[in-house]
Amino acid sequence: MDPKVITLTVNGRKHQVALPPNITLLRALREYLGYVDVKNGCEKGDCGACTVLLNGKAVNSCLVLAWQANNAEIITTSGLGSAENPHPIHRAFADEGAAQCGYCTPGMVISAKALLDENPHPTEAEIREAISGNLCRCTGYGQIVRAIQKAAEIINKEGDAS
Amino acid sequence: MIDRQDTKIVGKITRRKDGVARVTGQEIYSVDVNLPRMLHARTVTSPYAHAVIKNIDTSAAEAMGAVVITFDDIPKVRYNERVITVPWALHKDKYVLADKVRRMGEAVAAVAAETEALAERAARAVVVEYEPLPVVLDPHEALKPSSAQLYETVMYGDNEIKVQNNIACQREFTEGDVDKAFAEADVIVGGVFETTKIYHAQLEPKTAVCKPEPDGGLTVWATAQSIHNVRIVLGQIFSIPLSKINVKRIPCGGTFGSSIQMNTVVPICAALALKAHRPVKLTLTREEDMNDHTRYPLHVHLQLAAKKDGTLLGAKEDVIADIGAHILQGYSYLGVCLGWLVSLYRLPNVKYKGIAVYTNKPPSCAMQGYGNPQVTFAAESLMEELAEKLGMDPMELKLKNYVGLGDTFWGQGPMVRSIVRSDGVPELLRKGAEEIGWYNRPKSGSQTGRYRRGIGMARGFHTSSAGAPQPGDVIDFSGAMVKINQDGSVDVVSAVMDHGGGTLEAMAKLVAEELCVPLDKVNIAPAETCSTVYDVTTHATRGIYAGCGAAVRVAKKVKQEILETAGRYLNIYPDGLEIYLDEVNGQTIIQCPAIAEKRITLQQLATRCWTDSWKTIAAVDSYRPANCPPAYVSVFLEVEVDTWTGIVRVIKSVMGGDCGTVVNPDLARGQLEGGLSRGAGFALYEQNTWEENGQLTSKGYWIDAKTPGIMESPRLSEFNSYFASTYEPTGPFGAKGLGEASSNPVPAAFANAIHNAIGIHFHELPITPERILAALKEKSK
Repeated sequence: MDPKVITLTVNGRKHQVALPPNITLLRALREYLGYVDVKNGCEKGDCGACTVLLNGKAVNSCLVLAWQANNAEIITTSGLGSAENPHPIHRAFADEGAAQCGYCTPGMVISAKALLDENPHPTEAEIREAISGNLCRCTGYGQIVRAIQKAAEIINKEGDAS
Repeated sequence: MIDRQDTKIVGKITRRKDGVARVTGQEIYSVDVNLPRMLHARTVTSPYAHAVIKNIDTSAAEAMGAVVITFDDIPKVRYNERVITVPWALHKDKYVLADKVRRMGEAVAAVAAETEALAERAARAVVVEYEPLPVVLDPHEALKPSSAQLYETVMYGDNEIKVQNNIACQREFTEGDVDKAFAEADVIVGGVFETTKIYHAQLEPKTAVCKPEPDGGLTVWATAQSIHNVRIVLGQIFSIPLSKINVKRIPCGGTFGSSIQMNTVVPICAALALKAHRPVKLTLTREEDMNDHTRYPLHVHLQLAAKKDGTLLGAKEDVIADIGAHILQGYSYLGVCLGWLVSLYRLPNVKYKGIAVYTNKPPSCAMQGYGNPQVTFAAESLMEELAEKLGMDPMELKLKNYVGLGDTFWGQGPMVRSIVRSDGVPELLRKGAEEIGWYNRPKSGSQTGRYRRGIGMARGFHTSSAGAPQPGDVIDFSGAMVKINQDGSVDVVSAVMDHGGGTLEAMAKLVAEELCVPLDKVNIAPAETCSTVYDVTTHATRGIYAGCGAAVRVAKKVKQEILETAGRYLNIYPDGLEIYLDEVNGQTIIQCPAIAEKRITLQQLATRCWTDSWKTIAAVDSYRPANCPPAYVSVFLEVEVDTWTGIVRVIKSVMGGDCGTVVNPDLARGQLEGGLSRGAGFALYEQNTWEENGQLTSKGYWIDAKTPGIMESPRLSEFNSYFASTYEPTGPFGAKGLGEASSNPVPAAFANAIHNAIGIHFHELPITPERILAALKEKSK
């Protein structure tokens, strides 16, 4: 099949891009649009490193075809905030030592964001459930759970803005 | 004894410098590097685990516009990816592309094309004619003369040597009179322990980006734990002067030992770039990565002899290490498999034999501990059994015999000997015992009912570097440059890699402390091989002790130069000056205490050195650690075994670390917690198995490798950690290592806790639900 021009709104910015049907959202974001903050870990939905928000829901972008995301709103970790202006989840992750090598972190941050959007006061069990699709080999997860708890605290106090 | 130094920056919790970049996705890894006119590469991988390559037809791929390389295109140089062993003692058995296939998925050719999709199609269009050979997977089988032979010869240094019965190398060692010790012993315990060939499971798939330069050289971005070793091996293979190869330091998405060597993708990518005259990127797929490297599985037959009072008299240890299809550092590995044992407990009489065997499986390489978790699993399990026989508390038996303060130890092998100068073991064990409720633990096997709880402990250590008073067969030194900029800020230029644990954060803190400069004024400069002095690699738990140790050594020289320079300006002898950090104003002050007006800030001094057209205050040097102090770790676990399902659940985990001065307290805790996770994976879940033809049963699906997720990890209330209050006199500000030590004792702690719960000793990892149920069934017969 021929490429089709689709529209992807990434972190609030509208992109029109011609893509063949077999390109995943992960590859569209990384290779066609340059969003390398979305990490490629396994391309099979095993690790969660490529997690993005697709119309507000956390998905493995390697398991979504780009065409399926036509006209959708996509949020990646760099869309939540920047180094100069980090999001509360970013600050909490950085302060709690939740990022070691940092490769799983962009996906973890998005899974945390999806959770806190839906549930501003999650229990530890709910946090565990929310990131159960994200593998981390460095931390043993404890500091990630603490970071998400801390992020919830900050957001509930100061709001969700970066 | 050196006095403990008060510190203002070391030991304080601060947001790590690279933290925000990592969480906001601004950190760039090799896999994210894209260059103008860059081609994408794929490898042509063998569907056989052992085969002769009869013919390769590349015409269809080339007709698609791809650049293709085969064995004919690569330099005919056999090399070893891991150049930490001195060249004359290094085994070399591989080429950039396979001369003969020795494992599933080995690259026999490679292509580069405009897009990855086209590269994939071109790779599939390469027609390879194979003659499959019998496959040998079991190391015991491989030792038989009738088995398939992987190699006729390999290189050892500059000499070609014959390989017989797939033995890559072997090592024997005797100390004292072991037969006499065993004859005089009151109690002897022994057993065969098996550990598996698990996958490192680093999150980033291994990548190389190579850019050919007009002078015939290369610029390289690669997943690597040592930029200098990547450069050296590339230089050896392609006969390019090192001055023309520049390897850039770039963050790694986790390594756990998997990138100590130059990765297989690097020279393939380099060969393609040199042929295409364009930049090329090559990333392994996850399946390819899982076939590329694993931990060394170890078969250990260990016997311990002891007196009635628990004094250990000696040990006999025989090991077989399945090194897979290629040798990385097998000879040194056989040395440490004894070193870990004799440095864990005082064993005056020892007899050892180790054999490293080739099989048609992925090459084995170091993985957090380099044999230490495997040997410690055997030793700490057997110590438990010995205590049981002696009717002693296992913890007391261990305290009686452990290698500690003042003892000689040689964890990194017989040539790497040093004296223990800091020892937190008693503190670690007493505290852990208290926290877990050690003295109230049930009698092993006394419990009934579906859910049975048990408490177990194990202790372990790792060496901080492979430093020693004399050079050995393992290279170990580091270097750094430290310079004061024109505004008084500091650049630290070092090749040390940080895999995520915070090594470079520690370097910034240690240098800031030494120079009395605020932490935010110390920059860890981007590093590349052309502008840094050699650093061996971040492995062997050496990052803080040896890598940062070098930077502190250099900072001391810079500090002296600051004093001398300030002395000239102030007309004061340097010895009459002192330097300190004014924390309120964020300034470094150089002052003569006796004459208050003789005072200058570092900022003023550095600016004057510049405007007077004088100099940059800077120093560069190398540092060889003459010791490799043990970082001790203890693990106490309470587990619950479900005797209906065989599932083991952690009720409570308590980890103690002795890393001397704790430089980054939050990150050090992260090392212990991460060590528990990886240790638990090794102990309970992770396993690689191979089908008869040498295909991974998992087919490279990560989820089937059973890397622990959060559901397999303790809840917050179920984990606690603490640090011993020790000070390592040979380390920077009293610091030694921690990283690898944190997972070394974990499998044994699980085995001992499970034994306490259900009364069964497990000698084989992983201790899966199936194995627990089978053992319970066997026991009830």
